[in-house]
Amino acid sequence: MAQFRLHGTKVLAVTLSGGGDTVKAKNGSMVAYDGQMAFKKMTGGGEGIRGMVTRRLTGEQMTVMEVKGQGTCFFADRASDISLVRLNGEKLHVEASNLLCTDAGLHTGTSFTGLRGATQGNGLFTTAVEGTGEAALMSAGPAVLLRVSQGAPLQVDPGAYVAHQGNLRQSFQSGVNFRTFMGEGSGEAFQIRFEGDGLVYVQPSERNTVGGEL
Amino acid sequence: MPFTEISAKLVEAQVVPGQRMFSQRGAMVAYKGDVRFTPNIQGGQGGVMSMIGRRVANESTPLMTVEGQGTVMFGHGGHHVEVINLDGDTLCVEADRLLAFDGSLQQGTLFLGKDGGVMGMVRGQISGQGLFTTTLTGKGAAAVMAHGGIVQLPITPDRPVHVDPQAYVAHFGDVRNKLSTALGWRDMVGRGSGEGFQLELTGNGAVFVQASEEKL
Repeated sequence: MAQFRLHGTKVLAVTLSGGGDTVKAKNGSMVAYDGQMAFKKMTGGGEGIRGMVTRRLTGEQMTVMEVKGQGTCFFADRASDISLVRLNGEKLHVEASNLLCTDAGLHTGTSFTGLRGATQGNGLFTTAVEGTGEAALMSAGPAVLLRVSQGAPLQVDPGAYVAHQGNLRQSFQSGVNFRTFMGEGSGEAFQIRFEGDGLVYVQPSERNTVGGEL
Repeated sequence: MPFTEISAKLVEAQVVPGQRMFSQRGAMVAYKGDVRFTPNIQGGQGGVMSMIGRRVANESTPLMTVEGQGTVMFGHGGHHVEVINLDGDTLCVEADRLLAFDGSLQQGTLFLGKDGGVMGMVRGQISGQGLFTTTLTGKGAAAVMAHGGIVQLPITPDRPVHVDPQAYVAHFGDVRNKLSTALGWRDMVGRGSGEGFQLELTGNGAVFVQASEEKL
């Protein structure tokens, strides 16, 4: 089982004990390692032909490499902040571009997000990570973990959304009104609304989104 | 110890009379006291020959001499700054990553091609470092810039460290480096993992790695 630990906030150290211990990481994100490591690109996200085709079609393409070996491998990507998420059978929804590294025990797939995705600038689909193990998320700036509970829904800017987990229903809400069409919008025309019980990861930065300018 | 880290991106240096300090030109953000900044056309220590050496080696960044009495704050481009204390060791660092250093450190230029021959030259080209690097020797401190935070990894004879050339910042100690390749047929057909080249560092010392693959 690979050991994940953070070295500061921007470097992830993964200790592999050999013997078929593997992790999946974003292509080219290794910055240093000791011991013996082998890197192999996994075509189409490493989910077989079906997964590859799905990813191509959905635009949730990930270029992933498989890291195998013995020693400690350090990962970092363009000075993004990293958060570790431990999964015990739950499902984590995350944008493919925000996923840095996952344990081999985790399965990654794609799921449909509906209209929300279109405003996020990331397409209509998101990546679902499921299983037991640890996953490392990247965000521009340190991610904030916001709790959603019954009766306390949460609205998130699509450009700042990173990931969510738990039993959440998401809907899309828009505040487009007369002013928006006059070019006097507040820049907050669209939000994702989360209801139920769960956690949402939000980054202190906004991606360029379709709705961001409105 | 003249440098103190105020924040991750700002260092404060104590300047006392009779002790010079060098810094990258324009890197001063604020100062207190009576401090003079003189542009240093020679780009550092040594005489005219050292200057020519640095020009030829393309390791000349515009430096300035800081003298006087007071405190000076240095920062540049929002990059993270790390203070590295040297105790008689030799630090190898790229000239453009050097923010400021003590005048007590001996500055030099090292030809990287010497260990490794042809491979050494290839390595310089691939890592974008060129064929030369700047060395600082002696007792004192240097402030080095990096994109994202810096991680220090120890190198021992039984624990060589491999580093992505783009994330390499600096190293010190008795360290030999060579370029190791893990190129396979996958890289030839454009299916590489993006980790085709690594700097393999062996010996005794430490290497500094930044949390990003971007050059400054």
